[in-house]
Amino acid sequence: MVFNSLPFLVFLMAFLPIYFLLGGKKRLWWCLAASYFFYGWWDWRFLGLIIFSTIVDFAIGGRMAATTQADTRKQLLWLSVAINLGVLGFFKYFNFFADSLQQAIAPFGWELSWHTLHIILPVGISFYTFQSMSYTIDIYRKDLEPEPSFLRFATYIAFFPQLVAGPIVRAREFLPQLRKDHNFDWNNFYLGAAQILWGFFKKVAIADTLALFVDQCFEAPHHYGALHLTIGVFFYAFQIYCDFSGYSDIAIGLARMMGFRFPENFRTPYFSRDFSEFWTRWHITLSSWLRDYLYISLGGNRKGYWKTLRNLMLTMLLGGLWHGAGWTFVFWGFLHGLYLMLQRILSPAWQKLHRSLYTPSWLYNGMNIAIVFLLTCLAWVFFRSPDFGRAMTLLERIVSLEGFNRASVINKFAVIQGFLLIGMLLSVEVLGLTINYSRKIIYQPVFRAFSFAALLWLIALFGTFGATAFIYFQF
Amino acid sequence: MKQLLWLGGFLVLVVVGDRLGGHLLAGLTQRSEFRYSRLYTGRAAADVMVLGNSRGLAFYQPHIEEMTGLKVINLSYNGLPVDLAAALVRDYYDHYPAPGKIIIDVSLCDRFDPQLVMNFSPYLPYSTRIDSLIRQADPQIRGGLHLSHLFRYNSEVFQRALYYQDRTDQHWVVERQLSNTEANSIRDDYEFIIYYPEEAPDILGELVRFCQAKGSEVQLVLGPYFPAFAAKMTNLRSFIQDIETASGLPVNDFSTALRDISLFADFQHLNKAGSVIFVDSLLQRKIVVRK
Repeated sequence: MVFNSLPFLVFLMAFLPIYFLLGGKKRLWWCLAASYFFYGWWDWRFLGLIIFSTIVDFAIGGRMAATTQADTRKQLLWLSVAINLGVLGFFKYFNFFADSLQQAIAPFGWELSWHTLHIILPVGISFYTFQSMSYTIDIYRKDLEPEPSFLRFATYIAFFPQLVAGPIVRAREFLPQLRKDHNFDWNNFYLGAAQILWGFFKKVAIADTLALFVDQCFEAPHHYGALHLTIGVFFYAFQIYCDFSGYSDIAIGLARMMGFRFPENFRTPYFSRDFSEFWTRWHITLSSWLRDYLYISLGGNRKGYWKTLRNLMLTMLLGGLWHGAGWTFVFWGFLHGLYLMLQRILSPAWQKLHRSLYTPSWLYNGMNIAIVFLLTCLAWVFFRSPDFGRAMTLLERIVSLEGFNRASVINKFAVIQGFLLIGMLLSVEVLGLTINYSRKIIYQPVFRAFSFAALLWLIALFGTFGATAFIYFQF
Repeated sequence: MKQLLWLGGFLVLVVVGDRLGGHLLAGLTQRSEFRYSRLYTGRAAADVMVLGNSRGLAFYQPHIEEMTGLKVINLSYNGLPVDLAAALVRDYYDHYPAPGKIIIDVSLCDRFDPQLVMNFSPYLPYSTRIDSLIRQADPQIRGGLHLSHLFRYNSEVFQRALYYQDRTDQHWVVERQLSNTEANSIRDDYEFIIYYPEEAPDILGELVRFCQAKGSEVQLVLGPYFPAFAAKMTNLRSFIQDIETASGLPVNDFSTALRDISLFADFQHLNKAGSVIFVDSLLQRKIVVRK
């Protein structure tokens, strides 16, 4: 069931009134049942996987807390990590590694007798596995007490707003919220609805509209000129941003309507002035997960200069692999690792140059934002391309500048509409950066009514309808 | 109570804004010089009608008008499917005297396109045929179009109507030229099979007979493709034969008539120079004649 579909609207209208009528355990049961129904709508067979993950981590978390022996605790932690990564590895990466191994040994004339399996990737497996793992790791680190109620823990893992594409909510953030009954609150309802509407606008009006143009560029780049492809890459940067942050907004808004607070997942990432900042603004819940559970576990920046660089690269490579079982995703992670390493190496000299030239800070910041954005776009080419061949064709054509003219741009109306929509998005984001409208204006009833209505009108005017899936569902 | 009042007021605001916005955009659509706006507001009478997809749009006009001195209405649109084309032509006959000649580029039989049908929603109030095609394409979307008037203008067709507010759309030609790199890249492409819907030739056949019954002369034409691309179209002959059988008319096949790379904008479209030479060959073959 996707958020931008009629069945979800019906589901939500049935779910919410009963949710507020019930209290205590009954409400938790209702949430859990609704969440399993929501997931089972896609494929009920994979509910077993979620339930399995839930039981394993609940049991291990409980056992870990009950023992004081460091060795046993460590063994239990590794058991949890192995089971979670084993399930993830089998469903998401088995074919990838089998294919890669076969390709690697083929030049030596060897052939493996196994064949790739027809494995369906369970939607959201990367998200709920990480969420579930963070619970046992936090207990191991003594950052969290184990949850005594299985019902509450199961609801935390399966909670439908964030089940299939995040944000990745930590147990220590969400379990305490599940212990309270949240009564209906108009303010939460308004703010949640506002965020849902904004998310819908980003997904339906911007991401899905840009997708029509972008898909052609990446599918057959050899058919298009340099300017057309450059616009395609630029549009993709905003398509993926609006698609994923739109999903996060809807998830956060739904939770808010029910009285829960989810962590922010995106904070105007394309205004970042360096890559460290980018990763504190893009998919925040994943990057902070990788920072806390991988980068810091590897030693972070405490083990010297070169090991810091190594840890950055390893974290980004695994971050790339998390996104998808393909070498293009790994390369995307590699590029971001490289950017972070280069930033560490070059930024002292860059800052010195800025100071010695007395560059105005607006120019310096503007240049940094532009550099980060362009390099991010370069990495997106590999992230989006179906294979390396097409990524390279696309980049070669852009760099050659062949057809870098208006005449080579096909479907200029889609281009104008795309820029118009991106302009609207950036205007709202710049407004959000410069004035704290969420506090001052959004509480005004007239402003609320007009802004909600305007979003509905804009969705009607620019939306692409047809319940297209969110990009991050495939991860 | 205050909250319920707010909700009520909000709903009224949404509906009123939607209707006012819809009314404003309907006015812009009506005033536009875009061909379909002219079609539905009594400003499209012509001696010759051209019908096709993007190839129909790029190949014929404005050179036919310049070379023959006849008044031409081009009802072509990028990717126009034959069922929608038939609805537009029938709507034309409802409002105007029959044109003397209709030139149909038969490549419009290569697809049905429900998405494009829905793009014609700005003309929903003028055409029961478009309404019925949208209903067939997606009943939910049709429901949405009646619920929200703004939604009717969520379409590329409307954006074009907006663009042609104060300029004519009758001089449309493609200016670009196929590059050698692009031309060579055809080698990387697989064979190109036209997966045309089975019913498409029959719909075209019915349309041909309808126009003939109304007194118009119909000419079926297949314009040029880039030769290396045409060579990859493995079922072009059977496609043409099916259309000839269904319509009872010969197709004037120009698919391999032009060979010079400088005459093409891409594999499937002539550019301005190509269009002039192509229209000239239509004149030589007397498919169109001077006034």
